[in-house]
Amino acid sequence: MKFKTLALLMGLSFSLPAFAQLERKLATENQEVELIFHAPRHINLLTVEPLVKKDLHFAIMHTFGTLDGGIQELWGLDNGANIQFSFEYAFSDKFSLGAARQSRDKVYNLYGRYHLLKQTQNNSMPISLSVMGGAGVNSSNYDFLQNDAPTFGERTSYAFQVMGARKFSDKLSVQVTPMMAYFVDPNPIFFIEGDQNLYLALGFSGKYKVTGRSSLTLQWIPNLNSDLRNNLGVGIDIEAGGHVFQMYFVTSQFLNEQYLLAGGNGTPGDEFRIGFNVNRIFATGRKKGLK
Amino acid sequence: MKGFLIFTLVFFLLIKPDEIKAQVFKTETGTVEFLSKASLNEFTGESSSLNGLVDLEKNLLDFFVDLNTVKTGIGLRDRHMRENYLETKKYPFAEFTGKIESLPVLTKGQSRDVTAKGKFKIHGVEREITVPGKLTMVSDNELKLEAQFKVLLSDYKIDIPTVVFYELSEEQVVTIQATLRK
Repeated sequence: MKFKTLALLMGLSFSLPAFAQLERKLATENQEVELIFHAPRHINLLTVEPLVKKDLHFAIMHTFGTLDGGIQELWGLDNGANIQFSFEYAFSDKFSLGAARQSRDKVYNLYGRYHLLKQTQNNSMPISLSVMGGAGVNSSNYDFLQNDAPTFGERTSYAFQVMGARKFSDKLSVQVTPMMAYFVDPNPIFFIEGDQNLYLALGFSGKYKVTGRSSLTLQWIPNLNSDLRNNLGVGIDIEAGGHVFQMYFVTSQFLNEQYLLAGGNGTPGDEFRIGFNVNRIFATGRKKGLK
Repeated sequence: MKGFLIFTLVFFLLIKPDEIKAQVFKTETGTVEFLSKASLNEFTGESSSLNGLVDLEKNLLDFFVDLNTVKTGIGLRDRHMRENYLETKKYPFAEFTGKIESLPVLTKGQSRDVTAKGKFKIHGVEREITVPGKLTMVSDNELKLEAQFKVLLSDYKIDIPTVVFYELSEEQVVTIQATLRK
């Protein structure tokens, strides 16, 4: 008995390390789930998709006029263009700061995104959770109003969002985003329909992957405390070697987070607008090891 | 008798064959770099988690790297690379197992050009390849290995996107550097 055990142990101590190849093991066992969405933006909403430290995300976003002009107006492309440029820089893998400018009302916005939780592949963390806070100022010229022109403080607005998302499968990802926007002075001279200071809404974003590099996208933002129409958007995301293109139909012309909630929406269908985002990530401050 | 048994047991457990033969070199921190050199855009991906084993006694080479550790310098590009091109969830490793053709006898401080032949596997496709490289016996306990070879993505069924903005080269130059220790 003892001899058998001994022989076995001897055999083991010889054979195992000597004959076997290396055991294939992953560097990190419990990996984070990646690409819940294709990019840090998804139609109009920010997502849980993080940037890596020192990455710079550039998004150029457009919406155009409503479809109901038909071919005469080239389905809205002739007029009503609203453009937002957005730059977001990651100070760490969790925190990034962004600056954006929307052409409608010439709104400058500063915002931050912080990633609290990351979904993992073994489901020990079932969701990714991020928060976003932003402050903006309308820089349009209202000098013609003379003494009634809004002051700097009255031109400011604020946004806060909590993004909770889950990649349910390789194809399907969903994000739920409780959102709020606050206008210090919802002046009717602004390009907004609402007259309240505070707007609450619940954003739903969905991504359904149809091929390796493209997905159908959906966005629905029911308002919780205003009579404004709800935002609806449908589109497609395409990854093209480093860029993510997002084309969509959406009921709102606004791209800024605060205006998105206060700006009002057209009826889905006739009053859809064509929208188009281009997302690009640049590496900064890093040698890429080119020789 | 019992004392002898325990002694042999302890002896064999403590002294591993590696140490007896003294010809097995290993590393977990070798570096792998791939260079994609297309006309419009050139970029590299790097990992320093190359696991390797060189057994000069048995003439066995065995290397693998977790492709999740390869970084190109842009986080989103890495994620797209993992999900769409390398499909690391399904095929996490790049592996090479083979042997050295006409194994040289190396003494301390010597360096020799060698050719390795074996199976390279990535993206679930395995192919027989020949890799030229250089072995250096740095000291009695340290073996340095350098090698460079080319990988055609289509050989391994790795897609190249048709619409590209940073161009991805069909031909990737892979460079390996590892210092293996006993």
